[in-house]
Formats: sequence, structure tokens, C-alpha cells
Amino acid sequence: MEVAVKFPKNNFGKRMKSMLKVDFRRMFKSRLFYILIACALLIPILMTVMMTMMDGSVSVDPQTGVETVIHGPENAWQSIGTLPTADGAAMGGMDVMAMCNINMMFMLVAVFICLFISDDFRSGYAKNLFTVRVKKGDYVISKNLAGFVCGALMLIAYFIGSVLGGAIAGLSFDLYGLTAVNLVMCMLSKIFLMPVFVSIFTLISVAAKQKTWLAVCGSLGGGMLLFMMVSMITPLGSTVLNVGLCIAGSAIFAFGLGAVSKQVLKKTSLV
Amino acid sequence: MNAVEIKNLSKNFGAKQAVCGLDMTVPMGAIYGFIGENGSGKSTTEKMICGLIPASGGSIKLYGKDYTDIDVRARVGVLIESPGCFPGLTVWDNMMLQAANLSIPNAEKEVIKVLKTVRMEGAAGNKYKNCSLGMKQRVGIAMALLGDPTLLVLDEPLNGLDADGMRIMREVFTDIIKDGKRSIIVSSHLLGELQKVATHYGIIRHGKMICEMTSDELDASCRTYIALQADEMSKTKTLLGCKYSRVEEDEAGYIRVYDLTTPEDVVTYLYENGVTVTEIMTDKIGLEEYFIDLMKGGK
Repeated sequence: MEVAVKFPKNNFGKRMKSMLKVDFRRMFKSRLFYILIACALLIPILMTVMMTMMDGSVSVDPQTGVETVIHGPENAWQSIGTLPTADGAAMGGMDVMAMCNINMMFMLVAVFICLFISDDFRSGYAKNLFTVRVKKGDYVISKNLAGFVCGALMLIAYFIGSVLGGAIAGLSFDLYGLTAVNLVMCMLSKIFLMPVFVSIFTLISVAAKQKTWLAVCGSLGGGMLLFMMVSMITPLGSTVLNVGLCIAGSAIFAFGLGAVSKQVLKKTSLV
Repeated sequence: MNAVEIKNLSKNFGAKQAVCGLDMTVPMGAIYGFIGENGSGKSTTEKMICGLIPASGGSIKLYGKDYTDIDVRARVGVLIESPGCFPGLTVWDNMMLQAANLSIPNAEKEVIKVLKTVRMEGAAGNKYKNCSLGMKQRVGIAMALLGDPTLLVLDEPLNGLDADGMRIMREVFTDIIKDGKRSIIVSSHLLGELQKVATHYGIIRHGKMICEMTSDELDASCRTYIALQADEMSKTKTLLGCKYSRVEEDEAGYIRVYDLTTPEDVVTYLYENGVTVTEIMTDKIGLEEYFIDLMKGGK
């Protein structure tokens, strides 16, 4: 007599639930995640306080004799985005504060995603994952979501750090005609822009697999191409339109690059 | 219905053909010993069964369905090359991750159960990176056993295991196939150990299946021989060589006569020629010798 074997149904919801459970459990157990959040929190505090202390000091190039005056931040929101000044000009330029502002988190999240994904392949855990997961899309969606959550938390941590740094350094919290709504919209647009970068980093990491160095270098290089647009799309005076644009852009990138990542996983060796 | 049915499977790595036109059938309720030399294509075949590398051609069916079927693949347990564990996490955390991956209800209970099965319950709190080779192998097997898999694919699961570990594995394997629904594919170079549990065999060479047989068929194919020791070994060998077609001296110093004969015939023949037999026994060649013979092109 033939022995019948029944296989329980694995619908999309059940598969995603288990995949997300794996990734978020791993993320919250990962030391790197907490290090990055701590960095996101501490960088603005240190930068703001240090630059305020150095405000007005002059450094002289020993070779050319050219004097450079160091300008500290004038406003606590400078590390979040550019502010219009009383005379209408934009506050803040390409100085250290501008380079180490909140937008840096879009690049820092690359480190998390690259290590997070390459760990799956280096440890061999990918074998356990993909043996029971035929649909590679589940993996891509889950990694994008985990990266997005990590990136969003880093942005929030940086924002908190900026407020704390501003308060410690005694900076002005004046918004020069902008409102708190603009500030919230600015943060929301940055958060919703994160999936654009996350999907790029995920694709590069999935293609690089266990080669972490390749994933990190590729992601930083790829991220650089879009890095400059972040400050333009998400200024401090953001409105609902900016948020909408970021959501639309993220959706296009996440679905588009997500489909490419899925194909990469489907067509290449996973071990 | 068979647990695994492979037809004309092939895999190319650039110009190199790792697997070419492989056919394989693993019946339900079988412990399938998958044997082959290093680089013969065992692991590549197993990886293709698990969907870890795409096949270049051919078809793989698991329980009558294509191997890309979501529901069937969700019930495959795997241990290929190394256990997929995160070194920085504890054994327990790694097991819980796998339990989450498999959506196991009552995960903690199930993890404790499989850890007990492989005698690793006491080391659950150890970081995976601090485990010994044998312990890591046990964790890998425990991970493969999680979620009551219908098909187990194990590549060298006995590597690094001590005698007790091997005994436990034999018990576990036999227990798994008891209901006749579940099957295990085991590839191992420890053929003596494999012979103790395998119900079916598949021998692969240069990416091609050269023979598939049941353990009974193997038993029937394995030749009987007479092994003996005598007072004058070199004279004995020469004398036996004159009468019998295949006479060899084994590593233990016994002279083996492979022809169909009886110990009485051999003893009488040697006695008549002035040689006294001090020890004589009848035995069968094992899987290991059969495999070596097969690889050499013997029959």
C-alpha cells in the first residue's frame, strides 16, 4: 500500500512572518546594530559640542601660510538640514558639519546591510534558509525591511543626538520661519527615502554574497552616486510633497531593485 | 511514489561538467547512502536537490512534485558541508533562529527535544564558535532534524563524531524512517558506518550514477571469500595461486581466496601439498571493498 505524505500549505503571510522573525531576531541580537545606533546618537553630540568649542579658532597651513577660521554651528538644526537665515540665504555650507550631518546615516546603514547579508552566506546559514525557501522574494523583502528599520532608527537616533548636542552646546533652536511640521516632514521624508539606499545596498550585498569587502566598497560607491540628492530632496523646509516624492521614489527603487535582487538569488549559487 | 526522483540531471561550472546525466531514485522510507570519490559530484547533486545551486539541465522531483514546490521544500532538513550557524550566537540562539525559520510552534520545546536527541542539551548555552568539531556537527544534525523534516539531506554528517555520536546517529536515522514516509540521503566516506544503516545505495563517479541498489542487492553482490593463515605463507600463496583464479594477501596478513569453494576443499588441498592451515574463516567483502573494487573497474 502506498504511503501518503501530506505537506502543510505555506502561504505568503506564513513565510514572511517566519522570515521577518529570523531577521529581526538576528538584528536585535546583533552587536553591530547597537554600535551603529550608538554612533548615530553620539556623532551629532560630539560634533556639535566640539565644533562649538572650536568656533572662531584659526588654523594656519604651515606650507602656504593660509589661515582658516573654523566656524561652529549657529543653530541646533544645522546637522539635520539647511536653514534659511534672516536675510534669505541658506545657513551652513560644505564644512565638517555639512559632511557629518544626518545624511551620513544613509551611507552608514550600508555597513549594517552588507554585514547582515554577507553573514548569512559566510556562516552557511543561507543553506538553511534557502533549502526551505523556494521564493527568494521573501528573503529580499525581509532584508529590505530590516535594513529600513535599522536605517530609520539610526535617523531617529541622530535626530535625538542633534537635539541633545544643541542643548549641551547652548545653540539656538530657532527655525527661521519654518515650523515644527516642516521638521517632522523633513524627518519623515528622510526616513521614507531610506528604502532607496537600502534596496541598492541589498542588491549589491546579495550579488557579492560572502565577499563582505566587495559588498561594502560597492555599496559605498553606489550610495555616493545618490548621496548628494538627499539634502536636495529632504531639506529642513520639507512638506508633504517631499514625503510623497520620497515614498514614490522608494517604492520604485524597492520594487525594481528588489526584483533584480530576487533574480540574482535565483540564477546564482547560494553557497 | 518516491521521495526523490532525478532524471538526466546535469550541472556545469564553466567548461567543467560536475554532474552529467545523473538519474537517481530515493524511495520513501529509505536511508540512501550516496557514495562517491572526492569531486565525484555528490555535494553538487545534494545542493541541487536542496535548490542551493541551479541545475544546468534535467529534472528533480521530491515526493512527486517539482523540487521548487514551496510546501515540499519547507519540509527538507539539510546539513551540507558545515552547519549553518552564526559563530557569535549561542547554540540555543542558533537553534531558535532555525526554529523561527521553520515556523515551528512550541519552538523551545522542540529545540530542547532535538538537542536532547543529539546529546547537546548541556551545551545549549555555549557560543557556537567555542564548540568542538564534534559538537558543531551535532548542532548541525540537530538543526537538520528540527521541524520533523520529511526529507533529510546530510552531507558527511558523521565527520568529527565520536563512537557514541555515531551510534546515536544510527539510532536517530533508523527511528526517522520507521513510519515509511520519511527518507534520508546520507553521503559519507565512512562506508563501514554507512553500511550499518543504509537501506539503499547510489554510487556516483565523474558526475554519473554508476549503480543504484538496495542493501540486500549489495549483500548479494558482495563476494564471499575464504581467509586463511598457514605455517608457510609464501608457499601457501603460490599453491593456492596455481589452483584458484583470484588469490590475494590482505592488510592483516591473511591470504584470501575469492573463488567459489569451501574451506574444507582448501584445507584438504593444502594438506595434500604439505601445508598446515593454522586459521581459516569465511567472510564477505564489505561496502568499502565493494566500492573500491567498483572504482577500480572490478566486478
